[in-house]
Amino acid sequence: MIREVAWRLFAGEYNESTLEAGGGGDRAPTYVVTPLGARVNRLFVVGVLTDVENVGTDGQPMWRARVSDPTGTFHVYAGQYQPEAAATLSKVKPPAFAAVMGKSRTYSPEPGTVYTSIRPEMVKVVDENVRDYWILEACRSLKNRLEGAREAQGMDPATKDALVALGYPEDTAEGLAAASAHYGKVDLSRYTSLLAEGLRYLLPEYRAFAPEEPAPAAAKPAPKAEAARAPGEEAEDVVLALIAELDRDGKGAPWDALLEAAAKKGIRKEGLEEAVNELLDKGLVYEPVLGRMKKI
Amino acid sequence: MKEELEPHVRDILRALGDKVSADEIERELGNYLNVYRVSLDTAKRSIVKKHGGNPADLSLGITKTVRELVPGEQSVSLLARIVSVNEKEIETEAGSKPILYGFLGDPTGTAPYTAWNPEGLALAKGDVVRILNAYTKEFKGRVEVHLGNRAVVTKEAADLLPPVEGGRPSMPSGPATAAKVVDLKEGLSNVGLTARVLSVEAREVNVAGEKKTVRSGVLADDSGKVQFSAWKDFGLAEGDVLRIEGGYVKSWRGIPQLSFDERATVAKLGADALPPAAELAQSPRMWIEDLAERGGGVDVTIRGILIDIKDGSGLVYRCPECRRVLRKSVCRIHGEVQGNADLRVKGVVDDGSGAITAVFGRELTELLLEKTVEECIAQAKEAMDQEVVRDELADLLIAQPVEVRGNVTSDDYGLMMIVDTARVLKVDVQEEARAMLEELEG
Repeated sequence: MIREVAWRLFAGEYNESTLEAGGGGDRAPTYVVTPLGARVNRLFVVGVLTDVENVGTDGQPMWRARVSDPTGTFHVYAGQYQPEAAATLSKVKPPAFAAVMGKSRTYSPEPGTVYTSIRPEMVKVVDENVRDYWILEACRSLKNRLEGAREAQGMDPATKDALVALGYPEDTAEGLAAASAHYGKVDLSRYTSLLAEGLRYLLPEYRAFAPEEPAPAAAKPAPKAEAARAPGEEAEDVVLALIAELDRDGKGAPWDALLEAAAKKGIRKEGLEEAVNELLDKGLVYEPVLGRMKKI
Repeated sequence: MKEELEPHVRDILRALGDKVSADEIERELGNYLNVYRVSLDTAKRSIVKKHGGNPADLSLGITKTVRELVPGEQSVSLLARIVSVNEKEIETEAGSKPILYGFLGDPTGTAPYTAWNPEGLALAKGDVVRILNAYTKEFKGRVEVHLGNRAVVTKEAADLLPPVEGGRPSMPSGPATAAKVVDLKEGLSNVGLTARVLSVEAREVNVAGEKKTVRSGVLADDSGKVQFSAWKDFGLAEGDVLRIEGGYVKSWRGIPQLSFDERATVAKLGADALPPAAELAQSPRMWIEDLAERGGGVDVTIRGILIDIKDGSGLVYRCPECRRVLRKSVCRIHGEVQGNADLRVKGVVDDGSGAITAVFGRELTELLLEKTVEECIAQAKEAMDQEVVRDELADLLIAQPVEVRGNVTSDDYGLMMIVDTARVLKVDVQEEARAMLEELEG
């Protein structure tokens, strides 16, 4: 058996998947097929582990962890059959940068609803450099798939044979054809912005709140960046700054104080909640206790 | 896909007496194989039956040449010369039994064969035989001929086929196919290549009881490096730039190797026809996906994440007789022995396009650990656990981006690199991210 490759894949793409494809036969591997045609049996992700919880019992623990990347959150479940990963998860103190390698899983509580998760083979606490390198790899991988998906959208219908004839490897062509048949024409601009988001995450000139950066860089962001940013992101930057500012005792910024301070900056409750949710998803903040927000 | 189906479409047409169009057969065959996913044999039989033909006609009277063979044929006939015969014992559930294996060939090529029931089968080197009802499989990209229960082998007159030359592919006439080193794949023949000799040495080999001098070494162009064997003295010297026309490619454990002999023409070009040796000696960076497609490579560089360290890594003890790694002080062959301590890593490097087993020897492992094997022995003694060294390696290396360089071979379990040099990567992610973002935003 040739070992399955470990896909580098953003949560923003993985969690949009609603197709599971079997290889046929009893022991053939199964794949989660993403909207861009990645056929994922194994994946490798690095992000911020924001919380770990035992959702099983004390006798039979099942650890659920959330790992955030710049585009969304991976859900990781480890139980008795993943002893090493479970042991690591039981000991990690969030927040932490974590690398997770594991198998793709889907859960469908009712027809039409599909949740994706990872069953980990390996969990390891890593440093920021490893996380940054992973984001770069995930961006490269996403860029390749975007090109393939664009090509497939120009074909009618996009068949495996036709894609192979264009020079795509068999596996890639099979994934693209399956995705095209199941998802139809997906909105590629959504994934182009995921890619841009991932890339900007790595660049200090796009980090609005970055106290460790020298002042000129922070005060004078590239004009291009401004133009490309969505209005919601400005609110996020303000809220992120407030959370850092209001965290006076190291236990996180209290919600009430945050609500008040945000209102003074012209951000209403709904806007604040939306911004905080985005920041949570991106792994920039977390909730150490209920009602308090803390910057990572 | 279409090209692969073509010979099978022809088989079906032959069995049906051409009363159905080739396009329709091809479409049906594709349907059976891709939509219903039945085996090729079932698909072919079903289609013949559906159109009122007799599936048995599929295997009648079709004699193929070695070049025409494709993997997955269930019943094929050949007229071929036995190039070599070897015998070995294999273990089956019913006890051990002998089988015969070797190469057979005809003017179009050679193929490995295995005879699973050799009783009463007198195969001898040089025999011309007619084989009925053989089946074929693919192994490492090459078609193998299998003679099973149904196979019938009859000896024919020796002059029905010209002699096959020592397992070398016959040289099709016409101009050589131009190739770069990176394009060389097992089975190619009549290759035209421009490359520089990075190293060359002469050695004596025994070919069928005859002493021959072969010059072998490494050739390179700007796409990569390849090992070569020259079976004639072309007066090669290190640094020469050569134009070789009429070479052929064989592989050793998946690594493509270029061979050329008196049928090839070798011309020396000016020294400036290719970049200097120092530049060509650089190790090309490759994606694992591309290495998998080629089956291996000489002195290549891979960047990826070390995602796993396998059992049997870290501090190990080897048998003093055969160097096998001991399990609980016991060698699989030599029993309980006093082992010699050694360090190694058997890791998995994954670059997002594929995965490869990477084996690091003692010196590299010492370098990565910043510890000698003696220090590791002391550490294991103190912890009373040999596994502490492996745990430390896992802490140090797992999930880290690494760059590894070495020769890549392949077998049934995939690719393997014996790592010559390795380092943990420090990549300037900002530079590449900025370039990608600029490209994206135009």
